[in-house]
This record gives sequence, structure tokens and C-alpha cells, in this order.
Amino acid sequence: MAQKIDVDFGLCESNGVCMGIIPEVFDLDDEDYLHILQDEVTPENEQQVKEAVRQCPRQAIAIRDE
Amino acid sequence: MTATELVFDPFSEEFFNGPWEIYRRMREEAPVYYNSEHDFYALSRHADVAAAFKDHETFSSAYGLDLAMVKSGQPAPMKMIILMDPPEHRKMRSLVNKVFTPRQIANLKPMVVDTIDRCFTAADLEHFDVVQDFAAFFPVEVITRMLGVPSDRRQQVRQWVDSSLHREPGQIEMSPEGQQAVAEAMALYYELIQQRRAEPRDDMFTRLVQAEIEREDGQKESLEDIEIAGFATLLGGAGAETVTKLIGNAAVTFAQNPDQWQKLLDDRDKIPAAVEELLRYEAPAQYNVRRSMREVTLHGVTIPAGKPVFLLGGSANRDPEAFTDADTFDIDRDRTEAQNLGFGYGVHSCLGAALARMESAIALERLLTFMPRYEVLWDQCQRVAMQNVAGWSHVPVRVVN
Repeated sequence: MAQKIDVDFGLCESNGVCMGIIPEVFDLDDEDYLHILQDEVTPENEQQVKEAVRQCPRQAIAIRDE
Repeated sequence: MTATELVFDPFSEEFFNGPWEIYRRMREEAPVYYNSEHDFYALSRHADVAAAFKDHETFSSAYGLDLAMVKSGQPAPMKMIILMDPPEHRKMRSLVNKVFTPRQIANLKPMVVDTIDRCFTAADLEHFDVVQDFAAFFPVEVITRMLGVPSDRRQQVRQWVDSSLHREPGQIEMSPEGQQAVAEAMALYYELIQQRRAEPRDDMFTRLVQAEIEREDGQKESLEDIEIAGFATLLGGAGAETVTKLIGNAAVTFAQNPDQWQKLLDDRDKIPAAVEELLRYEAPAQYNVRRSMREVTLHGVTIPAGKPVFLLGGSANRDPEAFTDADTFDIDRDRTEAQNLGFGYGVHSCLGAALARMESAIALERLLTFMPRYEVLWDQCQRVAMQNVAGWSHVPVRVVN
């Protein structure tokens, strides 16, 4: 089963903690909007994505099963 | 069995003077603590506090932010985001949160630097109180300037906030002086709201006057005056009190840990890490009070529905299960070990975190320059006796040449 990254943009306040952990996946643009560059959880990024989930002060990031 | 009864009383002298030993005993002996005198519960372990912060459906904010309010059992009478649950909380917070993103706050740096530097123009090396002459002054200047309070009224806001949060040992309710202070602050805010309606400016009062919010029935409406005044009261209060406490705590903590101060003197790039460690070691906000919305059983104790529950972030941040050598102040510690709860966690996590971080970092930077070597005059230090925030009102130092 594939796992995908799910951001609640109503909760996100552009703190950028996730981008600091794994910029290949999370990117804040110049307008302070968060973009998910790659929404699939892979064996390569899984550990860092989970760290981003935990460290998000807003708890706006989740991993869901597809 | 324990030799002495474990009592956690957030309105006691013992608590105001440093709760660390009480916290340790709570984590070990009573992770779901019950206070029979005031009929409230408290969570103290990191895992429990973090989980409760995240679970806003079980631990509601809508009944108050302190023991007296939550005990009343009535939904909070004031309209403030700190007193709301989702979905209303989300709608209201989204009206202001774009002002406080790290990027927006970074744009304010010149203003914050200027405000902080003005504190030092009159500073006296022989008689310098880190709180009275410095840390109490600038945070309220910054936040009230962002709000749009005229410069001659800004320090008054701090006195009002101090007055409303002050508690004598054993005092749970706000004093008549505190209520008077709240009334005077509200009067000022109402006056400013009317002025901004007539004549918009580039400030947060104007932003809130012009904002629209979707109500429960789906209709879009402007905010009522009382909602805007609520925002101003909350942001002014949070902005005025917390960084003041953090910088006072910093002067004390670094004096007790001179090797850590030396690390900063040697490498100022460590200042942001030092701010994070100060937030972990002794956060200005030691606890948040929630209301249990359903029966919860944890560690064999059942919290009934409808009870005040203290979430002790200050204790969680000293939990040895979460942090190695949790009682050691170490600015180089591994910050990924566990979530630092100094700014809370989840939907109510500190709105002003980026501003607090920037103010604190600039303040530390200036203190390193102003007083690279200093001694605290311990016998003249005084702690505050307040609810929700902990720290010092007086930290006089002697700058050593």
C-alpha cells in the first residue's frame, strides 16, 4: 500500500520546519505558501518525512495510506 | 509510600519559586495528578502532555485559560483564539497568522533592533536590572507597535497586563485591580478600533477592522469590536509578558551556567540554539489549562468529563524519558530527541513563536555585548507571582570589567 503526504493547509502557518528537514519534499514559496514537491513516502525519505510530521509545531502534516 | 504528600498548587509560593522538584515527583509518582482542594488534574510527562496538546477534541480550550475560568464550567465569555476550539479557532486565527510567519517577522527585524537598542542608550553599567531596565520594556513596545497602539500608551499596556495576571499566593481569581486594568485596556482598544474604522492605517487594528470572517451560518461578516479588542488583549498580553520572562530567565540561567555563556561569547552563531534551550529549560509559559470533554483514563487514573486539566509543558520539557540529562542546561543538546513544548504544540501552538525567537535572539546578542561578564545580585532578585507565566520581575546585575 502506498503512503502519501497530506498537509492540512488550513493549519499550516508557514513555519518552514518541514522544509528545513527535507527540502526535496516541502518547499515554501516567496509568497509563504507551502508546496509538496513529492507527495509519496518512499523508503529513502520516510525517516525524514516522519521527523517533519513530528516536528511540525502546528501538527499540520500527516501520512495517509492510499 | 512517600514521606511527604505531593502537592502541586500553581498558586503557591513554592510553585512560583521553582516547581522542578514538584514536577519530578509528579512525573514519577502521579503522572495523572489530582488536586482535591481545587478539583483539577495535571499531566506532567512529555508523552502525555504532547498527546493532550494534539487532542483538542478531548482537551478543550473553549472553557477558559486558567483554573478559575475552567472550574466555572461555562464557555469562556471572551472572544479570543486562545479560548476557542476548531473550527471557529481556525477561522479566527487565519485572520492574523499571515502576519506572524517567520518570513513576515524577519521583515520587522530593523524595527525590533531599533526598539531594543533604544533600551541601552540610557543603560547604567553600575545599576542594570536585566528585567526592569531591559526585558520588560521592549517586547511590549514591539507588539503594541505592530497592533497600532500610539507610542505614549505602549508601556501602559504592559502595566495593565502585569496587573491582570498577578496572583498573591493562594489567589485564584483576578483581583479588582486586575479587572480594572482589563477594563482600561479594553477602553483604549475600543477607542483605537473606532479611529481605524474612520481612518485606516498600516497596522493590525486596521487589518482586523477590515477582515471578514465566515460565521456558523455561512454568512461573511466583519468582526465585532469585542472580537477585535479580544485579539488586541491576547496579542498584547502574550507579546508583552513572555519574552520579558525568557530574557530574565536567560540572565539567571546563564549566570548559573557560566560555561554556557562562554560558549555564546565564543560563537554567537549558537544564539538561536540557546533560545531553544532556554525555552526547554524554563519556558515563560509553564502550563496551559484545558477542560476534559469526555472521561479519560490514563495510567490507571480516570479523569471525569468536565474537569480542569493542567498540561504542564514546563514539566514535560524536563522529562528524562524525553530528553537526556533533562535538568542540565546545554545549548548544544540534540534538539531532535523530543519535541520542545516551550511554544506548545498543535492547533494552539504559539502564534508569535517567530517573533519571540527573533526578539530573544537580538536581545541575547545585545546582552553579550553589553555585559560579557556579569554577576547577578542574587539577594535583590525577585520572582513574579503570576498565573500562566513564570519568571523574574527583578534581576539586577553588576557588569564586570
